[in-house]
Amino acid sequence: MTTLPDRLTSQGQALTIRLLLGAGVLALCALACGQPAPLAPDGEQVFRFRLREDPPTLDPALSTDNLSEAVVMNLFRGLVFMNPETLRVRPAVASSWTISEDRLRYVFSLRDDVRFHNGRRVTADDVRYSFERLLRKEVSSPRRFVLEPLAGAAAFSAGESDTIAGLEVIDDRTVALRLEKPFAPFLAMLSMAAAALVPREVYDDPQSRYLRAPVGCGPFRLTGWEQSNFIELRAFDDYFAGRPHLDRVVVRIIENRESALQEYRAGGLDSLDEPPGPDTGEVYAELQDEVLRFPYIATGYIGFNTALPPFRDNATLRKAFNYAVDKDYLWEVLMPRGNTAARGIIPPGIPGFDESLPGYPHDPERARRLLAEAGYPGGEGLPDVTLWVNTSEDNRRIAQQVQADLRKVGVALMIREVDWGAYMAAVAGTAEQPGEAQMFRFGWFLDYPDADAILRMTLHSDNIGPLGNFFRYDNPEFDRLVDEALVLTDPDARAALYREAERIAVMDDAVWLFLNYYESSTLFKPYVKGIVPTPLGEFRIPLELLRIEIP
Amino acid sequence: MAGYIVRRILGVVPVMLAAATVVWCLMFLLPGDPARLIAGGQGVDPRVLESIREEWGLDAPAPVQYFHYLGKLLRGDLGVSYIQRRPVAAIIADHFPATLVLAVAAVLLAAVGGMLLGSLAAFTRNRLLDQLVLVLALLGTSTPVFWLGLMLMLLFASHLGWLPVLGYGMNGPVIPWIDARLPEWDHLVLPAVTLSLVSLGVIARLTRASLLETGGAEYLVTASAKGASRLRVFTRHALKNALVPVVTIVGIDFAAMLGGAVATEYVFAWPGLGKTIVRAIALQDLPLVEGGVLFLTFIFVAVNLAIDLLYVYLDPRIDSRRAA
Repeated sequence: MTTLPDRLTSQGQALTIRLLLGAGVLALCALACGQPAPLAPDGEQVFRFRLREDPPTLDPALSTDNLSEAVVMNLFRGLVFMNPETLRVRPAVASSWTISEDRLRYVFSLRDDVRFHNGRRVTADDVRYSFERLLRKEVSSPRRFVLEPLAGAAAFSAGESDTIAGLEVIDDRTVALRLEKPFAPFLAMLSMAAAALVPREVYDDPQSRYLRAPVGCGPFRLTGWEQSNFIELRAFDDYFAGRPHLDRVVVRIIENRESALQEYRAGGLDSLDEPPGPDTGEVYAELQDEVLRFPYIATGYIGFNTALPPFRDNATLRKAFNYAVDKDYLWEVLMPRGNTAARGIIPPGIPGFDESLPGYPHDPERARRLLAEAGYPGGEGLPDVTLWVNTSEDNRRIAQQVQADLRKVGVALMIREVDWGAYMAAVAGTAEQPGEAQMFRFGWFLDYPDADAILRMTLHSDNIGPLGNFFRYDNPEFDRLVDEALVLTDPDARAALYREAERIAVMDDAVWLFLNYYESSTLFKPYVKGIVPTPLGEFRIPLELLRIEIP
Repeated sequence: MAGYIVRRILGVVPVMLAAATVVWCLMFLLPGDPARLIAGGQGVDPRVLESIREEWGLDAPAPVQYFHYLGKLLRGDLGVSYIQRRPVAAIIADHFPATLVLAVAAVLLAAVGGMLLGSLAAFTRNRLLDQLVLVLALLGTSTPVFWLGLMLMLLFASHLGWLPVLGYGMNGPVIPWIDARLPEWDHLVLPAVTLSLVSLGVIARLTRASLLETGGAEYLVTASAKGASRLRVFTRHALKNALVPVVTIVGIDFAAMLGGAVATEYVFAWPGLGKTIVRAIALQDLPLVEGGVLFLTFIFVAVNLAIDLLYVYLDPRIDSRRAA
């Protein structure tokens, strides 16, 4: 007697043949299926780029990261705008302004042809509303420092006053701003997203629907947002500076870099913010002609917590660490993606950048001598030192190379890699207590193109703690120079003071392990025209100037 | 049966309460300051941090925060995401359809493909096809999903251009009464195949083993002797009984796919719930993590209940054993 499996075996063989034939037919059908979705319908100008995550917010008052600003800076405009190429402030909603002799009073005249995306004309009252909103305590804006130079801003934020004393609406098209004291970068700060103008009727919504349906007066308006899928912008026909060439912008949300690269190669993206490096071989060779490189106003470093041993009161030790690390090797051999070795704090292109600053070139012998002078000959007696990094492959590679370089001079460095939340808690500490990280990898992007945006924000003793001075650096002479530069009006005089302050922090105090000046590199398809590279970063390339010219 | 169902449903409540408590405690114990993450940026004014803590109730003692959260949960309020500042329920509603579509497609592929291959292997026992199926099944279960997805993408999308590289598509049909968009069908293929292959291997092997075990049963011989055709014997008797363990695996895998398709969602930029929850953990977005985990717990329990009910259909002896 045969069993069921035996009887079914012959049936199975016949079935197998039928299945294989069917699979072959399916494969042929699949072959006949179309390629990935074609580019835009006839005549429509569509630009598609990628963000690795959804922007945390599209509220300009809450926008603090480059993902949010990539979209926000296309939806909104403020009184003034930063020319992305020249980094000079130029008119936006304000057509002109005057500044008093004492640099305390700014009077702005508004254009009469500016409209919000909902069609309403922008008036001076919108300036008052938008600025009050930014400073209001319940909004909890991390960017309210943008308007804190205004007289009465602190009292308004604290709820001690119903109005901002230094903000006066003169008429429908004129607004005056009065500062507590002269503040040289004030106009540059007004160009930031936080100072964008928003309509009261939308942003007073208690249900906060504006978070998903923002309304500004910028060149594009939001027409679609599917979380983790895409954001769609369309040209605003009534944009005061002229309708953009592009009809539509599609922001694709693609977290994985490799996947995004494949999508770019397949034609699903017109631009990609993370191009492959020379170490990727064939792919780099295929795409290198499409890579656009330009400087980026940011500086990378490893910070020393000067409130903790062994770096407390030991500038000699910090200098030894600087000489021990081969930054040229790091950026020219190990990670050749465009960053260059840093000699100081102020990045190139910013007034005050010092070409003659020697910095700390790689010199292991000098490092060993300084290590001995610091009290740790050959690294002997040095307490445990840990370098903290937040989770990323690049940070890990940098940390491992720094560790290897320090080992050559006798320093045993440990590495601790944690996620961002734990990392910031360890780095920033509180205003009263230092974080536990002795050394930490960080990069500081300048919110506005002024040396003040890095020197004062990161190293002034007023900003010790979460504000930016994570290193707990406290040098009265440094503070004095930076404070003096803030109120001057002559750019050359300001630059000279900033250079002097930088020398103190770099050559006297070695407050950081100075690693790199950044460079942006972005892939663009050849048919994308009108690209204006900007030191503000790849996500600040003005989309309203782009156009698609497919032959 | 009705009583059994009611008891199972009521049993969900303590399970979800326990899940909510465990997740809350774990998230609370994570190092880092949620207020800092909400504020974002490079440097933050401590006054703004204080304001954020006050706004979100993060300055309250831990027990107060916990009971406040529990109270909202019992009222059906999953809270508001710290980072997105939107109701957690709305975020889940945005992402779950994508995960559901992917999981359904993957589990169907896995179940049908696995049972088909397993049946073929059983039919052609110890022959070439059987061996081939076993090898493929082994490869399916042992290949990392992340790598597999990238390889399929490179082959079928990048090189051959047969399918889109990734994404959900922008032009899929919209289901109006839940305002959810379905993916464009060609965007679904690669992620579904990737996600299905691990399960497919397991199901194939299990189907094969189960069929071989069932094949020599006396009741099948009896059925055949009573004149039932070979096909009827296979479909009405052998396959149905062999499917009981397979149903278990399919159900468990389906539930796992609903919450654990993170790698697939990541590779293919699929806007699913798993990736969203993982990202929320990194950002210490406690309400979203809590809400997402609770939702998936509920789904998991519901799927298990459905499996149990399916058992009764496949094997009526199960119901009478319960009654006994």
